[in-house]
Amino acid sequence: MRATLTRPGLCRVEQIMGTTITLDLADDLPPATLRELADEVFAWMHEVDGRFSTYKPDSEVCRFDRGEVLLSEASADLRYVLETCADLWGATDGFFDAYATGRLDPSGYVKGWAAQVASDRLVAAGAVNHCVNAGGDVRVRGLSPSGEPWRIGIRHPWDAMAACLVLSGTDLAVATSGVYERGRHVLDPRRGAPASGLRSVTVVGTDLGLADAYATAALAMGTPGLNWLARLNDHTHAAITDNARQHHSVDLPLTD
Amino acid sequence: MRRALLAITGLAASTTALVVFKGSPGTSQVAQNLPTAQPVNPSGPGTEPGAPGTDPAAGTPTPSGSAKPSTSPKPGKTTARPSGTRTTKAPSAPRTTTKAPQSTTRRVTGNGFENEYGYVQVQIVVSGSRIVEAVALSLPSGGESDIHSGDVRLAYDGTGAPGTPSEVVRKQNANLNTVSGATETSNSYKQSLRSAIEQAF
Repeated sequence: MRATLTRPGLCRVEQIMGTTITLDLADDLPPATLRELADEVFAWMHEVDGRFSTYKPDSEVCRFDRGEVLLSEASADLRYVLETCADLWGATDGFFDAYATGRLDPSGYVKGWAAQVASDRLVAAGAVNHCVNAGGDVRVRGLSPSGEPWRIGIRHPWDAMAACLVLSGTDLAVATSGVYERGRHVLDPRRGAPASGLRSVTVVGTDLGLADAYATAALAMGTPGLNWLARLNDHTHAAITDNARQHHSVDLPLTD
Repeated sequence: MRRALLAITGLAASTTALVVFKGSPGTSQVAQNLPTAQPVNPSGPGTEPGAPGTDPAAGTPTPSGSAKPSTSPKPGKTTARPSGTRTTKAPSAPRTTTKAPQSTTRRVTGNGFENEYGYVQVQIVVSGSRIVEAVALSLPSGGESDIHSGDVRLAYDGTGAPGTPSEVVRKQNANLNTVSGATETSNSYKQSLRSAIEQAF
């Protein structure tokens, strides 16, 4: 760790999409450039919130859901999100269901996807060392401000102030779904009842939207989700059961 | 100024998730260099939070902002002094100063807020003019709010997917850049934190 008084880069936090979005730019770029990059990231997140929020009656998602916008008239982003949600419904045996609540709600994919797009744009703009945290869904790239790989804690499901596992990496998408923050809000779409058995599921991959959707689907499956996670290609996972047991892939990028 | 307050609010909110930034405490930017610190929840889990604005647990170094209930903020006024009890303990330094922070540490408890999931109350620890820690005295939990991992250490049921070794969930408090967790119910936390910040500065 460098013992300098100031670290390179910039850190900014905003409340968007009903949660906290944190951007940590670790590149040693001119302050004006960093501010511009951060402005673009948060402008994008606000744009996504305005278009995809299910709480805003005039959002594109709500207008589409009410039939005021046809699929052929929808934006390229909305069509992409709807297609991906349909693919995810198939890939998760129906457990990731953007219509689980009876109306269109792609939020389980949109938050991670929006952060992933923001991260991809930062890389394209030359800011290759950064961390985007959208309400607990994390995309890290390159190195942290200390010059080491990013260290990502997985929140302890019974203690908001503690982590139960620590991951480390230079190119990771880490998404966690849990029942501890909003109660048992994830429904098993087949039974229409709250899922049970798992308290928290973390999926690690390289696409944050997919990782988020897979984590939500496994949580909805309950205990059988452990087997489903074990068969998931190109992703690793950690899951904590209601009785405080922890299961994780052998190749999860754990660190001390 | 409002933006700055929001930024501080958001930053501290993210520290619920134990974001511990690397760096030394000598810099001017609150948002970037929180000293590595253990959580300083004085009441521990399971303690009933006090009524809004009451003094937090005994044994804290200085009185908290219990003297005066929070009034509506005036973010534009940088010259506004905090209530008289604190000005003697911690002379308010300009927030933009690059001088070394005061060594005085204060704990200020925000008002409690009820939401549909439970009761939220936040306490901040202020060193000089910097927030060094934000602690949730009370957060909502699910129906299993009484369960702590230590209590269920013996509850191993042996079920698990093949190839996924099972172990008792443990706590790790390492030097973290960020934390992955379920989406927070951030609104009540934000309100309580905001009231703590308004009392502190």
